[in-house]
Amino acid sequence: MNAALAAIAAVLALTLVKATPLIYAALGGVLSERSGVINIGLEGIMIAGAFTSVAVSGATGSPVAGALAGIAAGALLAAVLAFGATRLGVDQIVAGTGLNIAALAAAAFGIVLVYHQPGASREVPGFGRGGELTLIALAFATAVLLHIVLQRTPWGLHVRACGEDPSAAEAAGIDALRTRFIAVVTGGAIASLGGVYLSLAELDLYSDGMTAGRGFIALAAVIFGRWTPLGATGAALFFGFFSALQFALQRTGVPSELMQALPYAAAVVALAGFAGRVRAPAADGVPYVRH
Amino acid sequence: MTLRGFLRGRTFRDLAVVTVLVFGVGSVAMLLAHVSPIDGFGALFDGAFGTPEEFAETLVQTTNLLFPALGIAVAFRAGLFNIGAEGQLILGGFAAGWLGAAVPLPAFVALPMVLAAGALAGGIWGAIPGFLRARFAANEVIATLMLNVIAFLLATYLVNGPLALAGAGPSETPTLPHAAQLPDLLTGSRLTWAFVIALALALFLRWLLFRTIFGYELRAAGDAPEAAKRAGIDLGRTALVAMSISGAIAGLGGATIVSGELHRFNTGLSPGYGFIAIAVALVGSLDPLWIVAAAFAFGVLQSGGIAMQAEAGVPRDVVSLVTGLVIIALAGRRVVAARRTT
Amino acid sequence: MQAVDGVDLDLFPGEIHALVGENGAGKSTLAAIAYGAVRPDAGTVEAIGTVGLVHQHFKLIERLRVWENVLLNREPRRGLAIDVEAARERVRRLGEEYGLRVDPDAVVETLPVGIKQRVELLRELDREPAVLLLDEPTASLAPGEIASFFGTIAGLAGRGTAILVVTHKLAEVIAYADRVTVMRAGAVVAHHRTSDTTAAEIAREMVGGEVPALAARAEVAPRALFEARGLSAQAGSSLIVDASFALGAGEIVGVAGIEGNGQSALADALAGVAPFTGTMTLAGTPLRSDEGPAARIARGIHVIPQDRRSEALVLDWNVRDNAVLGRQRQIPFARYGEAAREIIERFDVRPPDSDAIVGMLSGGNQQKIVVGRALAGAPVLVVAYQPTRGIDIGAAILVQSRLIEARNAGAGVLLISFELDEIFACADRVLVLAQGRIAGEFSRDGIDRGRIGSLMAGNA
Repeated sequence: MNAALAAIAAVLALTLVKATPLIYAALGGVLSERSGVINIGLEGIMIAGAFTSVAVSGATGSPVAGALAGIAAGALLAAVLAFGATRLGVDQIVAGTGLNIAALAAAAFGIVLVYHQPGASREVPGFGRGGELTLIALAFATAVLLHIVLQRTPWGLHVRACGEDPSAAEAAGIDALRTRFIAVVTGGAIASLGGVYLSLAELDLYSDGMTAGRGFIALAAVIFGRWTPLGATGAALFFGFFSALQFALQRTGVPSELMQALPYAAAVVALAGFAGRVRAPAADGVPYVRH
Repeated sequence: MTLRGFLRGRTFRDLAVVTVLVFGVGSVAMLLAHVSPIDGFGALFDGAFGTPEEFAETLVQTTNLLFPALGIAVAFRAGLFNIGAEGQLILGGFAAGWLGAAVPLPAFVALPMVLAAGALAGGIWGAIPGFLRARFAANEVIATLMLNVIAFLLATYLVNGPLALAGAGPSETPTLPHAAQLPDLLTGSRLTWAFVIALALALFLRWLLFRTIFGYELRAAGDAPEAAKRAGIDLGRTALVAMSISGAIAGLGGATIVSGELHRFNTGLSPGYGFIAIAVALVGSLDPLWIVAAAFAFGVLQSGGIAMQAEAGVPRDVVSLVTGLVIIALAGRRVVAARRTT
Repeated sequence: MQAVDGVDLDLFPGEIHALVGENGAGKSTLAAIAYGAVRPDAGTVEAIGTVGLVHQHFKLIERLRVWENVLLNREPRRGLAIDVEAARERVRRLGEEYGLRVDPDAVVETLPVGIKQRVELLRELDREPAVLLLDEPTASLAPGEIASFFGTIAGLAGRGTAILVVTHKLAEVIAYADRVTVMRAGAVVAHHRTSDTTAAEIAREMVGGEVPALAARAEVAPRALFEARGLSAQAGSSLIVDASFALGAGEIVGVAGIEGNGQSALADALAGVAPFTGTMTLAGTPLRSDEGPAARIARGIHVIPQDRRSEALVLDWNVRDNAVLGRQRQIPFARYGEAAREIIERFDVRPPDSDAIVGMLSGGNQQKIVVGRALAGAPVLVVAYQPTRGIDIGAAILVQSRLIEARNAGAGVLLISFELDEIFACADRVLVLAQGRIAGEFSRDGIDRGRIGSLMAGNA
């Protein structure tokens, strides 16, 4: 009986660990999409956060410096997307896809440049237990904070207005392009913490492909969570649970690949069950062009 | 398109941007790797064109990119994002490799059946997000991304587990019987008739998209879904059919890699062709004939990139980096008219 | 051609000034310039005080609440957060002051069109504008509501606001405005005190000559063709309930009503885009709710949709490919060019070039293509939903004439329009649609404008 309880507790704890990077990425996605910009590049932003934080932590010896650098890198990548989406009116999904490919390649290139070996970096100073718990708590705190900002503050209202109808927002004197830009960059900063957590809190290094599509699962979490911070957090926990389950069931006879596929399959099923019936912000993904 | 129209148009401007990106960013990256751009690009182009064998290898890379790019273009034309070409390609390759090795087939049907199996597997894998989009208005971008990962895991599981065949290494199928192998175009190289098949497919698709009612309706669904719906075009069915065709073409590509190049299936058969093909489709303006040219350009980068790493010491990731930047740069072409899944 | 060319316009406090012109004459552009949304290439705009603009198509954010829309970007604050209670109170007081009461907490998309207009007005009034521009403000009002609307406006003028009403409704101009400026092709062509002129004179000035004549109506005895019984359907927020009516071959039945009273549901049910309950029978055979547009087209039901840009045309394609859209399976692929040329000729599409990109054509020519292809192929029933929306008078008369000719040739035409004048000019019978129900039916001889207006407003 105690063993069963211990096992359940372990799975729940692992759920939190697995969900945290998803929460950060999903919150970044929510903020971006509420303003009207679909950020497919969350995966690339997480990679940027993961790699940069490792490189800087290794160079400075401080994981906090690494984390800050990771946030900056994520914000920078998001700024590229934000610029394209707002000033140039580009196709957001195409741009996000390109961002992911470029970020993955840049990180791989970066590993060779910095560590003179392909595939993975060396171990760097990471966050210990305390730091890891802080990052987990911070994820939930960010979710609540984002909820309050969106619902209760003027800026949050402006963001929501831009996501629903940017031309109406502009008629009220809001600079829709600038609001979207800020929302996307801030979202990128939040999402990159997911990458920072993966590298500095879990493994203390960066390796090629370590994000493994989490940025995409986060997108499903955004939809599943109906584009709200609290909903997306719940969805992220749901997907994290499947990841944890896969880990826990490793010892059983179930083949590891099928278990690894669980979170992704769960996302696909969630899409089918949910997608058509919920409404994205009305102007989500639609470039706003001033006449 | 006339020559003058081409020079004035966006295509020319986009190609100019791409060229600047390739040489500009490429040079910066090379300098960071302590390699002079002259040496770097020299190694790249020498590796792509130097000898007939090297040129043949460039054509091999061209072929491998051409199949998924054509598939992606068909989906784009229907207003759909097929980011799942990689997964469709992998499963297509697996189906081909497994069928050819596991089932004794009469000699004259072995090759067609193996290729057909690849197309079928890819088509089914494309039909899944197509169905989700048609029936549930589910976002096919996320669905195809997820299915990519699932495809790789599924293929790995099957090839090592329940469908494992004797005489194969880990994550592989055994060598295909000779009858199931695509004949070489240039002996001593990896270039096979797959190249010819791809070219023929491009011609066929151009005809299909622009000279048939099927193509007319598919493009209408992509360019103006609401008007298309009211004109009697079934958007759900178009989504399903377009994604299936798209997947089938990518799957066929995987099958040709297995049947022609590798003579076996291996889970590592694609270094991301399905993603690079997105850039190829965009650079080719979603036009099958221009996509052939674009596939060749990227084929040069791919095969040259391998040589560049070996000879000049510049990591191949530079090629992927430039590819990603090209995709971002070409995102300005409003490729898909309608995004919302309603 | 300039959208606006060398225009001088003066607005005085306490005055209601009307700006009239055809579609495409430049009125809306001028209003946008006056508001400051569009920067002129030359010339100046000066205003003593704020300028407010109530748009023709409301700039309201549907999924937000009334107070969020009215006070967007001017939200009362408490610290870093919005003071929601103060916001609600402010909207309530504003509504009391101007006689435009609305529930501050209501979500805009749930509101009927007339109330939405109040929200739009309140948003501008909160800024206490010295100048108020109103773009086609009575488009969504029932005839009975128009008088009270202008009463509110006159009240505002009385308090010293300078009012500009951009409109094409000349009867209202004569009745309610003090002065009128007439625009044509981007320039001002005339200026009057409304007491010194007539609607007919203004119409001539708008067109630059005599208004072309409508096609003649032939003596046709309508035969039984189509019947709806207990028809109920929903398209988005548009609802039609328990509608029963008949439409004969060789007659035009006009559906009069204010926008938002079920017209879209009716049109979409006929088009096969919206499911329905009840029965619809065409030439004896019932229509099925799950059929879809392809089946309707095959049965000879052709629909001219309300919004040509998003519902009828592929703007990136050329004229030829657009001209066959809807009949792409009925015409052999090789004959598309021929079919397109027929439409170009019959409907005077300019430029008469099959390869021209439709997105580059004027609204009038785009609409000619849409109407042309709907009338091609000998349709049995034509549903014309706002067929002359946003096009110049010449194109409008041509479209209406072709509809009459189709009726003369034996087609049944259901003309759904928000313009009463259009309906009165073309229809053999008139149905009034109010709140999703058919409130009344009138024959051409028995048209009673007052009664129709009253029914449109929802009075029995």
